[in-house]
Amino acid sequence: MLANHRFPKLPYALVALGALCLLAGSYLGLFVAPPEHYMGNVQRIMYVHVPTAWNDMLALTFAFFCAVMFLFKSDFKWDARMEAAIEVGILLAFLLCCQGAIWAKPTWGVWWDWDPRLTTTAVLLFAFAGILALRRFVDDPVKRGVWSAVATVIAYVDVPIVYYSVRWWNSLHQVQSSPSTVSSQFYLPLRLNAFGVLFLMTGFIMLRARIASRRLASELAPPPQELEGELV
Amino acid sequence: MITALRKEFLLQWRTRAQAVAVFVFGATALLLFSFAIGPNSAALRQHAAGFLWLGLLLSSTLTLSESFLAEMENRAFEGLLLLPVSPRALYYGKAVANAIQLIVLGIALVPVMVVLYDAGTTEIPMLLLVIALGAAGISAPGTLYSAMTSQARAKQTLLPLLLFPLIVPVLLASVKATSLAILGDPMGQATSWILLLVAFNGIYWSLCGLLFDRVVED
Amino acid sequence: MTGGYITGGWTFVWVAYGWTALVLTAYAVSLFVRLRRSR
Repeated sequence: MLANHRFPKLPYALVALGALCLLAGSYLGLFVAPPEHYMGNVQRIMYVHVPTAWNDMLALTFAFFCAVMFLFKSDFKWDARMEAAIEVGILLAFLLCCQGAIWAKPTWGVWWDWDPRLTTTAVLLFAFAGILALRRFVDDPVKRGVWSAVATVIAYVDVPIVYYSVRWWNSLHQVQSSPSTVSSQFYLPLRLNAFGVLFLMTGFIMLRARIASRRLASELAPPPQELEGELV
Repeated sequence: MITALRKEFLLQWRTRAQAVAVFVFGATALLLFSFAIGPNSAALRQHAAGFLWLGLLLSSTLTLSESFLAEMENRAFEGLLLLPVSPRALYYGKAVANAIQLIVLGIALVPVMVVLYDAGTTEIPMLLLVIALGAAGISAPGTLYSAMTSQARAKQTLLPLLLFPLIVPVLLASVKATSLAILGDPMGQATSWILLLVAFNGIYWSLCGLLFDRVVED
Repeated sequence: MTGGYITGGWTFVWVAYGWTALVLTAYAVSLFVRLRRSR
Protein backbone atom coordinates (compact mmCIF):
# COMPACT_ATOMS: atom_id res chain seq x y z
CA MET A 1 0.00 0.00 0.00
CA LEU A 2 2.69 2.44 0.95
CA ALA A 3 5.71 3.27 -1.15
CA ASN A 4 8.12 2.19 1.56
CA HIS A 5 6.87 -1.37 1.22
CA ARG A 6 9.19 -1.63 -1.76
CA PHE A 7 12.06 -1.32 0.70
CA PRO A 8 10.81 -3.06 3.82
CA LYS A 9 14.18 -2.88 5.55
CA LEU A 10 14.92 0.77 4.73
CA PRO A 11 13.41 2.34 7.88
CA TYR A 12 15.33 -0.05 10.13
CA ALA A 13 18.54 0.85 8.34
CA LEU A 14 17.73 4.55 8.78
CA VAL A 15 17.06 4.11 12.49
CA ALA A 16 20.35 2.22 12.93
CA LEU A 17 22.27 4.81 10.90
CA GLY A 18 20.65 7.63 12.86
CA ALA A 19 21.54 6.01 16.17
CA LEU A 20 25.15 5.60 15.01
CA CYS A 21 25.37 9.25 13.91
CA LEU A 22 23.87 10.36 17.22
CA LEU A 23 26.34 8.26 19.22
CA ALA A 24 29.32 9.60 17.27
CA GLY A 25 28.08 13.19 17.34
CA SER A 26 27.27 13.06 21.03
CA TYR A 27 30.66 11.54 21.79
CA LEU A 28 32.36 14.40 19.96
CA GLY A 29 30.07 16.94 21.57
CA LEU A 30 30.49 15.59 25.08
CA PHE A 31 34.17 14.66 25.22
CA VAL A 32 36.09 16.12 22.29
CA ALA A 33 34.68 19.60 21.70
CA PRO A 34 36.11 22.25 24.05
CA PRO A 35 33.79 23.95 26.55
CA GLU A 36 32.29 27.09 25.11
CA HIS A 37 33.69 30.48 26.05
CA TYR A 38 30.73 31.84 28.04
CA MET A 39 28.38 28.96 28.54
CA GLY A 40 30.97 26.42 29.66
CA ASN A 41 29.91 22.81 29.57
CA VAL A 42 26.21 23.64 29.51
CA GLN A 43 26.76 24.61 25.89
CA ARG A 44 27.02 20.90 25.12
CA ILE A 45 23.26 20.58 25.47
CA MET A 46 23.06 22.61 22.25
CA TYR A 47 24.60 19.74 20.26
CA VAL A 48 21.46 17.73 20.81
CA HIS A 49 18.97 20.58 21.30
CA VAL A 50 19.54 22.45 18.03
CA PRO A 51 19.35 19.30 15.81
CA THR A 52 16.13 18.30 17.56
CA ALA A 53 14.69 21.75 16.88
CA TRP A 54 15.59 21.69 13.17
CA ASN A 55 14.16 18.23 12.70
CA ASP A 56 11.01 18.98 14.65
CA MET A 57 10.26 21.84 12.29
CA LEU A 58 10.99 19.48 9.42
CA ALA A 59 8.64 16.79 10.76
CA LEU A 60 5.79 19.23 11.30
CA THR A 61 6.37 20.84 7.90
CA PHE A 62 6.15 17.36 6.42
CA ALA A 63 2.89 16.82 8.34
CA PHE A 64 1.55 20.07 6.86
CA PHE A 65 2.63 18.98 3.38
CA CYS A 66 0.88 15.61 3.87
CA ALA A 67 -2.26 17.38 5.08
CA VAL A 68 -2.37 19.57 1.98
CA MET A 69 -1.73 16.57 -0.27
CA PHE A 70 -4.49 14.59 1.43
CA LEU A 71 -6.97 17.47 1.06
CA PHE A 72 -6.21 17.70 -2.66
CA LYS A 73 -5.70 14.05 -3.60
CA SER A 74 -7.79 12.19 -0.99
CA ASP A 75 -5.19 9.42 -1.09
CA PHE A 76 -4.98 7.66 2.25
CA LYS A 77 -1.24 7.12 2.05
CA TRP A 78 -0.93 10.83 2.82
CA ASP A 79 -3.24 10.39 5.80
CA ALA A 80 -1.03 7.63 7.20
CA ARG A 81 2.09 9.71 6.63
CA MET A 82 0.50 12.72 8.27
CA GLU A 83 -0.44 10.73 11.36
CA ALA A 84 3.13 9.43 11.56
CA ALA A 85 4.71 12.84 11.06
CA ILE A 86 2.46 14.44 13.68
CA GLU A 87 3.30 11.78 16.24
CA VAL A 88 7.04 12.00 15.65
CA GLY A 89 6.75 15.80 15.62
CA ILE A 90 5.06 15.68 19.02
CA LEU A 91 7.81 13.38 20.31
CA LEU A 92 10.52 15.79 19.17
CA ALA A 93 8.60 18.82 20.49
CA PHE A 94 8.33 17.12 23.88
CA LEU A 95 12.07 16.44 23.87
CA LEU A 96 12.69 20.06 22.86
CA CYS A 97 10.69 21.38 25.78
CA CYS A 98 12.56 19.09 28.20
CA GLN A 99 15.98 19.99 26.79
CA GLY A 100 15.07 23.67 26.71
CA ALA A 101 14.04 23.61 30.36
CA ILE A 102 17.24 21.78 31.33
CA TRP A 103 19.24 24.35 29.34
CA ALA A 104 17.43 27.31 30.86
CA LYS A 105 17.95 26.29 34.50
CA PRO A 106 21.76 26.74 34.73
CA THR A 107 21.79 29.51 32.12
CA TRP A 108 19.04 31.80 33.34
CA GLY A 109 18.28 30.28 36.73
CA VAL A 110 14.71 29.28 35.87
CA TRP A 111 13.29 26.19 34.23
CA TRP A 112 11.13 28.17 31.86
CA ASP A 113 12.01 31.67 30.76
CA TRP A 114 9.31 32.25 28.09
CA ASP A 115 11.79 32.26 25.30
CA PRO A 116 9.73 32.65 22.10
CA ARG A 117 11.14 29.54 20.46
CA LEU A 118 10.62 27.34 23.48
CA THR A 119 7.14 28.72 24.14
CA THR A 120 6.15 28.28 20.51
CA THR A 121 7.32 24.67 20.74
CA ALA A 122 5.16 24.12 23.80
CA VAL A 123 2.14 25.62 22.04
CA LEU A 124 2.85 23.39 19.03
CA LEU A 125 3.13 20.36 21.29
CA PHE A 126 -0.36 20.98 22.67
CA ALA A 127 -1.85 21.95 19.32
CA PHE A 128 -0.69 18.78 17.59
CA ALA A 129 -1.46 16.59 20.60
CA GLY A 130 -5.02 17.93 20.26
CA ILE A 131 -5.07 16.81 16.64
CA LEU A 132 -3.96 13.29 17.59
CA ALA A 133 -6.72 13.26 20.23
CA LEU A 134 -9.20 14.31 17.55
CA ARG A 135 -8.06 11.37 15.44
CA ARG A 136 -8.66 9.06 18.38
CA PHE A 137 -12.24 10.17 18.80
CA VAL A 138 -13.45 10.06 15.19
CA ASP A 139 -14.27 6.58 13.93
CA ASP A 140 -15.06 7.26 10.27
CA PRO A 141 -11.67 7.15 8.48
CA VAL A 142 -12.70 9.64 5.78
CA LYS A 143 -13.92 12.24 8.27
CA ARG A 144 -10.93 11.58 10.51
CA GLY A 145 -8.53 12.16 7.64
CA VAL A 146 -10.16 15.33 6.34
CA TRP A 147 -10.70 16.88 9.76
CA SER A 148 -7.23 16.21 11.07
CA ALA A 149 -5.77 17.49 7.79
CA VAL A 150 -7.82 20.69 8.15
CA ALA A 151 -6.72 21.03 11.77
CA THR A 152 -3.09 20.45 10.79
CA VAL A 153 -3.23 23.19 8.16
CA ILE A 154 -4.80 25.57 10.68
CA ALA A 155 -2.30 24.74 13.42
CA TYR A 156 0.70 25.01 11.10
CA VAL A 157 -0.35 28.45 9.87
CA ASP A 158 -0.46 29.50 13.53
CA VAL A 159 3.25 28.79 14.13
CA PRO A 160 4.71 32.11 12.91
CA ILE A 161 1.89 34.09 14.54
CA VAL A 162 2.52 32.43 17.91
CA TYR A 163 6.25 32.98 17.54
CA TYR A 164 6.00 36.68 16.84
CA SER A 165 3.31 37.33 19.43
CA VAL A 166 5.35 35.62 22.16
CA ARG A 167 8.44 37.51 21.06
CA TRP A 168 6.69 40.87 21.31
CA TRP A 169 5.03 39.90 24.54
CA ASN A 170 8.28 38.83 26.15
CA SER A 171 10.41 41.67 24.83
CA LEU A 172 8.18 44.11 26.68
CA HIS A 173 9.25 42.49 29.97
CA GLN A 174 12.95 41.84 29.55
CA VAL A 175 15.73 41.89 27.03
CA GLN A 176 16.00 38.45 25.52
CA SER A 177 19.51 37.06 25.84
CA SER A 178 19.90 34.59 23.05
CA PRO A 179 22.41 31.75 23.20
CA SER A 180 25.58 32.71 21.34
CA THR A 181 25.76 31.56 17.76
CA VAL A 182 27.69 28.40 17.20
CA SER A 183 31.22 29.05 15.99
CA SER A 184 32.97 26.95 13.37
CA GLN A 185 34.90 24.58 15.66
CA PHE A 186 31.62 23.28 17.07
CA TYR A 187 30.16 22.35 13.69
CA LEU A 188 31.06 18.67 13.42
CA PRO A 189 29.14 17.25 16.42
CA LEU A 190 26.24 19.53 15.56
CA ARG A 191 26.09 18.29 11.96
CA LEU A 192 26.51 14.64 12.93
CA ASN A 193 23.69 14.92 15.43
CA ALA A 194 21.52 16.82 12.96
CA PHE A 195 21.84 14.02 10.42
CA GLY A 196 21.44 11.46 13.19
CA VAL A 197 18.11 12.90 14.31
CA LEU A 198 17.11 13.31 10.66
CA PHE A 199 17.71 9.63 9.85
CA LEU A 200 16.13 8.50 13.09
CA MET A 201 13.09 10.70 12.48
CA THR A 202 12.68 9.53 8.88
CA GLY A 203 12.89 5.91 9.96
CA PHE A 204 10.39 6.49 12.77
CA ILE A 205 7.95 8.26 10.45
CA MET A 206 8.16 5.47 7.88
CA LEU A 207 7.56 2.77 10.50
CA ARG A 208 4.75 4.72 12.12
CA ALA A 209 3.14 5.34 8.72
CA ARG A 210 3.27 1.60 8.13
CA ILE A 211 1.31 0.99 11.34
CA ALA A 212 -1.20 3.67 10.38
CA SER A 213 -1.66 2.34 6.86
CA ARG A 214 -2.25 -1.18 8.17
CA ARG A 215 -4.97 0.07 10.48
CA LEU A 216 -6.47 2.14 7.65
CA ALA A 217 -6.46 -0.89 5.37
CA SER A 218 -8.45 -2.88 7.90
CA GLU A 219 -10.86 -0.01 8.44
CA LEU A 220 -11.45 0.81 4.78
CA ALA A 221 -11.99 -2.83 3.77
CA PRO A 222 -14.35 -4.39 6.31
CA PRO A 223 -14.01 -8.15 6.82
CA PRO A 224 -16.23 -10.19 4.48
CA GLN A 225 -18.49 -11.71 7.14
CA GLU A 226 -19.76 -8.24 8.10
CA LEU A 227 -20.74 -7.55 4.50
CA GLU A 228 -22.61 -10.81 4.30
CA GLY A 229 -24.40 -9.95 7.52
CA GLU A 230 -25.58 -6.70 5.97
CA LEU A 231 -26.83 -8.45 2.86
CA VAL A 232 -28.85 -10.94 4.90
CA MET B 1 -25.34 34.44 3.98
CA ILE B 2 -27.74 37.07 5.34
CA THR B 3 -30.40 34.37 5.53
CA ALA B 4 -28.01 32.09 7.36
CA LEU B 5 -27.24 34.90 9.77
CA ARG B 6 -30.93 35.56 10.38
CA LYS B 7 -31.44 31.87 11.10
CA GLU B 8 -28.63 32.05 13.68
CA PHE B 9 -30.11 35.06 15.42
CA LEU B 10 -33.51 33.44 15.56
CA LEU B 11 -31.93 30.34 17.10
CA GLN B 12 -29.99 32.40 19.61
CA TRP B 13 -33.05 34.40 20.56
CA ARG B 14 -34.91 31.18 21.24
CA THR B 15 -32.15 29.95 23.50
CA ARG B 16 -31.51 33.24 25.30
CA ALA B 17 -31.79 31.52 28.66
CA GLN B 18 -28.58 29.74 27.74
CA ALA B 19 -26.84 33.04 27.00
CA VAL B 20 -27.78 34.30 30.45
CA ALA B 21 -26.42 31.09 31.97
CA VAL B 22 -23.13 31.54 30.10
CA PHE B 23 -22.88 35.10 31.37
CA VAL B 24 -23.40 33.91 34.95
CA PHE B 25 -20.71 31.28 34.35
CA GLY B 26 -18.29 33.94 33.11
CA ALA B 27 -19.04 36.25 36.02
CA THR B 28 -18.53 33.38 38.46
CA ALA B 29 -15.20 32.63 36.84
CA LEU B 30 -14.16 36.27 37.27
CA LEU B 31 -15.13 36.08 40.93
CA LEU B 32 -13.15 32.88 41.40
CA PHE B 33 -10.03 34.26 39.70
CA SER B 34 -9.83 37.01 42.31
CA PHE B 35 -9.43 34.36 45.02
CA ALA B 36 -6.25 33.23 43.29
CA ILE B 37 -4.68 36.63 43.97
CA GLY B 38 -6.25 37.52 47.29
CA PRO B 39 -7.79 40.81 48.40
CA ASN B 40 -4.98 42.93 47.02
CA SER B 41 -6.63 45.55 44.85
CA ALA B 42 -3.40 46.72 43.19
CA ALA B 43 -2.50 43.20 42.07
CA LEU B 44 -6.07 42.50 41.01
CA ARG B 45 -6.09 45.63 38.88
CA GLN B 46 -2.84 44.56 37.30
CA HIS B 47 -4.23 41.17 36.32
CA ALA B 48 -7.78 42.30 35.50
CA ALA B 49 -7.32 42.09 31.73
CA GLY B 50 -5.96 38.56 31.91
CA PHE B 51 -8.85 37.42 34.07
CA LEU B 52 -11.41 39.05 31.79
CA TRP B 53 -10.04 37.23 28.76
CA LEU B 54 -9.66 33.90 30.52
CA GLY B 55 -13.26 34.20 31.69
CA LEU B 56 -14.37 35.04 28.18
CA LEU B 57 -12.32 32.18 26.74
CA LEU B 58 -13.78 29.63 29.15
CA SER B 59 -17.30 30.89 28.45
CA SER B 60 -16.62 30.78 24.72
CA THR B 61 -16.12 27.01 24.81
CA LEU B 62 -19.64 26.73 26.19
CA THR B 63 -21.24 28.85 23.46
CA LEU B 64 -19.10 27.37 20.70
CA SER B 65 -19.69 23.75 21.64
CA GLU B 66 -23.41 24.45 21.72
CA SER B 67 -23.40 26.27 18.41
CA PHE B 68 -23.88 23.22 16.19
CA LEU B 69 -26.11 21.40 18.64
CA ALA B 70 -29.40 22.44 17.05
CA GLU B 71 -28.19 21.31 13.63
CA MET B 72 -26.79 18.01 14.86
CA GLU B 73 -29.98 17.02 16.61
CA ASN B 74 -32.55 15.65 14.16
CA ARG B 75 -29.84 15.55 11.47
CA ALA B 76 -30.86 19.03 10.35
CA PHE B 77 -27.38 19.78 9.04
CA GLU B 78 -27.72 17.38 6.14
CA GLY B 79 -30.93 19.18 5.27
CA LEU B 80 -29.19 22.54 5.37
CA LEU B 81 -26.48 21.26 3.05
CA LEU B 82 -29.11 20.21 0.53
CA LEU B 83 -30.38 23.78 0.29
CA PRO B 84 -29.01 25.90 -2.56
CA VAL B 85 -26.72 27.71 -0.10
CA SER B 86 -22.98 27.24 -0.14
CA PRO B 87 -21.52 25.71 3.03
CA ARG B 88 -19.26 28.75 3.11
CA ALA B 89 -22.26 31.03 3.63
CA LEU B 90 -23.45 28.75 6.42
CA TYR B 91 -20.00 28.95 8.03
CA TYR B 92 -19.77 32.72 7.84
CA GLY B 93 -23.30 33.09 9.17
CA LYS B 94 -22.49 30.83 12.08
CA ALA B 95 -19.11 32.42 12.77
CA VAL B 96 -20.46 35.98 12.68
CA ALA B 97 -23.29 34.97 15.01
CA ASN B 98 -20.82 33.33 17.41
CA ALA B 99 -18.58 36.41 17.28
CA ILE B 100 -21.49 38.72 18.07
CA GLN B 101 -22.57 36.48 20.93
CA LEU B 102 -19.04 36.60 22.35
CA ILE B 103 -18.82 40.37 21.89
CA VAL B 104 -22.06 40.85 23.82
CA LEU B 105 -20.78 38.49 26.51
CA GLY B 106 -17.47 40.36 26.69
CA ILE B 107 -19.17 43.72 26.99
CA ALA B 108 -21.43 42.31 29.70
CA LEU B 109 -18.43 41.00 31.63
CA VAL B 110 -16.62 44.37 31.59
CA PRO B 111 -18.74 45.94 34.37
CA VAL B 112 -18.18 42.83 36.48
CA MET B 113 -14.45 43.24 35.97
CA VAL B 114 -14.58 46.96 36.78
CA VAL B 115 -16.44 46.33 40.03
CA LEU B 116 -14.47 43.30 41.21
CA TYR B 117 -10.97 44.42 40.23
CA ASP B 118 -11.32 48.22 40.38
CA ALA B 119 -10.21 48.24 36.75
CA GLY B 120 -12.07 51.16 35.26
CA THR B 121 -10.96 52.78 32.04
CA THR B 122 -11.85 55.82 30.02
CA GLU B 123 -10.66 54.28 26.76
CA ILE B 124 -14.07 52.81 25.96
CA PRO B 125 -13.74 52.77 22.12
CA MET B 126 -10.36 51.10 22.41
CA LEU B 127 -11.74 48.48 24.80
CA LEU B 128 -14.70 47.80 22.52
CA LEU B 129 -12.40 47.42 19.53
CA VAL B 130 -10.20 44.91 21.37
CA ILE B 131 -13.20 42.92 22.56
CA ALA B 132 -14.64 42.84 19.05
CA LEU B 133 -11.37 41.73 17.46
CA GLY B 134 -10.58 39.21 20.17
CA ALA B 135 -14.05 37.68 20.06
CA ALA B 136 -13.87 37.47 16.27
CA GLY B 137 -10.46 35.82 16.52
CA ILE B 138 -11.79 33.18 18.92
CA SER B 139 -14.92 32.64 16.86
CA ALA B 140 -13.36 32.04 13.41
CA PRO B 141 -11.39 28.88 14.24
CA GLY B 142 -13.77 28.05 17.09
CA THR B 143 -16.75 27.71 14.76
CA LEU B 144 -14.81 25.45 12.41
CA TYR B 145 -13.58 23.22 15.23
CA SER B 146 -17.05 23.17 16.73
CA ALA B 147 -18.42 21.79 13.45
CA MET B 148 -15.88 18.96 13.69
CA THR B 149 -16.05 18.17 17.37
CA SER B 150 -19.84 18.27 17.56
CA GLN B 151 -19.82 15.10 15.43
CA ALA B 152 -16.99 13.41 17.32
CA ARG B 153 -17.02 11.51 20.56
CA ALA B 154 -15.79 13.35 23.68
CA LYS B 155 -16.76 16.70 22.15
CA GLN B 156 -16.63 18.61 25.43
CA THR B 157 -12.93 17.81 25.82
CA LEU B 158 -11.86 18.06 22.21
CA LEU B 159 -12.99 21.60 21.44
CA PRO B 160 -10.85 23.37 24.07
CA LEU B 161 -8.01 20.95 23.41
CA LEU B 162 -7.90 22.00 19.77
CA LEU B 163 -8.88 25.63 20.19
CA PHE B 164 -6.82 26.86 23.17
CA PRO B 165 -3.32 26.32 21.75
CA LEU B 166 -4.39 27.87 18.47
CA ILE B 167 -5.63 31.14 19.92
CA VAL B 168 -2.63 31.81 22.15
CA PRO B 169 -1.78 34.85 19.97
CA VAL B 170 -5.33 36.19 20.30
CA LEU B 171 -5.22 35.78 24.04
CA LEU B 172 -1.79 37.43 24.33
CA ALA B 173 -2.73 40.36 22.13
CA SER B 174 -6.16 40.91 23.68
CA VAL B 175 -4.87 40.73 27.24
CA LYS B 176 -2.02 43.10 26.47
CA ALA B 177 -4.21 45.60 24.64
CA THR B 178 -6.93 45.50 27.32
CA SER B 179 -4.30 45.84 30.02
CA LEU B 180 -2.85 48.88 28.28
CA ALA B 181 -6.33 50.39 28.08
CA ILE B 182 -6.81 49.91 31.83
CA LEU B 183 -3.34 50.71 33.15
CA GLY B 184 -2.42 53.37 30.60
CA ASP B 185 -0.30 53.16 27.49
CA PRO B 186 2.62 55.59 27.73
CA MET B 187 4.65 53.90 24.97
CA GLY B 188 1.79 53.59 22.47
CA GLN B 189 2.18 49.81 22.21
CA ALA B 190 -1.51 49.06 21.89
CA THR B 191 -1.51 49.70 18.15
CA SER B 192 0.88 46.83 17.40
CA TRP B 193 -1.25 44.40 19.44
CA ILE B 194 -4.37 45.52 17.59
CA LEU B 195 -2.57 45.03 14.30
CA LEU B 196 -1.68 41.50 15.40
CA LEU B 197 -5.36 40.84 16.17
CA VAL B 198 -6.35 42.24 12.78
CA ALA B 199 -3.80 40.02 11.04
CA PHE B 200 -4.93 36.91 12.93
CA ASN B 201 -8.54 37.66 12.06
CA GLY B 202 -7.70 38.26 8.42
CA ILE B 203 -5.83 34.97 8.14
CA TYR B 204 -8.30 32.77 9.98
CA TRP B 205 -11.54 34.25 8.68
CA SER B 206 -10.38 33.51 5.13
CA LEU B 207 -8.61 30.20 5.81
CA CYS B 208 -11.43 28.67 7.86
CA GLY B 209 -13.98 29.76 5.27
CA LEU B 210 -11.97 27.97 2.60
CA LEU B 211 -11.58 24.80 4.65
CA PHE B 212 -15.16 24.58 5.94
CA ASP B 213 -16.42 23.11 2.67
CA ARG B 214 -14.17 20.10 3.19
CA VAL B 215 -15.18 19.68 6.82
CA VAL B 216 -18.90 19.32 6.19
CA GLU B 217 -18.85 17.47 2.88
CA ASP B 218 -19.77 13.82 2.96
CA MET C 1 35.16 32.73 37.70
CA THR C 2 34.66 36.00 35.86
CA GLY C 3 31.86 37.39 33.76
CA GLY C 4 28.98 35.19 32.79
CA TYR C 5 31.01 32.01 32.59
CA ILE C 6 29.00 29.09 33.89
CA THR C 7 31.04 26.53 35.77
CA GLY C 8 30.05 22.94 36.24
CA GLY C 9 26.73 22.17 34.67
CA TRP C 10 27.76 18.63 33.78
CA THR C 11 24.75 17.28 35.66
CA PHE C 12 22.43 19.24 33.42
CA VAL C 13 24.27 18.03 30.33
CA TRP C 14 24.02 14.40 31.38
CA VAL C 15 20.36 14.73 32.28
CA ALA C 16 19.60 16.32 28.91
CA TYR C 17 21.42 13.65 26.91
CA GLY C 18 20.21 10.79 29.07
CA TRP C 19 16.59 11.89 28.92
CA THR C 20 16.77 12.36 25.15
CA ALA C 21 18.27 8.92 24.67
CA LEU C 22 15.72 7.36 27.01
CA VAL C 23 12.72 8.96 25.29
CA LEU C 24 13.97 8.09 21.80
CA THR C 25 14.67 4.50 22.80
CA ALA C 26 11.29 4.16 24.47
CA TYR C 27 9.60 5.47 21.33
CA ALA C 28 11.57 3.05 19.15
CA VAL C 29 10.49 0.15 21.39
CA SER C 30 6.86 1.26 21.34
CA LEU C 31 6.98 1.52 17.53
CA PHE C 32 8.42 -1.97 17.31
CA VAL C 33 5.74 -3.40 19.62
CA ARG C 34 2.92 -1.67 17.73
CA LEU C 35 4.36 -2.81 14.41
CA ARG C 36 4.41 -6.41 15.63
CA ARG C 37 0.86 -6.14 16.90
CA SER C 38 -0.50 -4.62 13.68
CA ARG C 39 0.75 -7.52 11.57
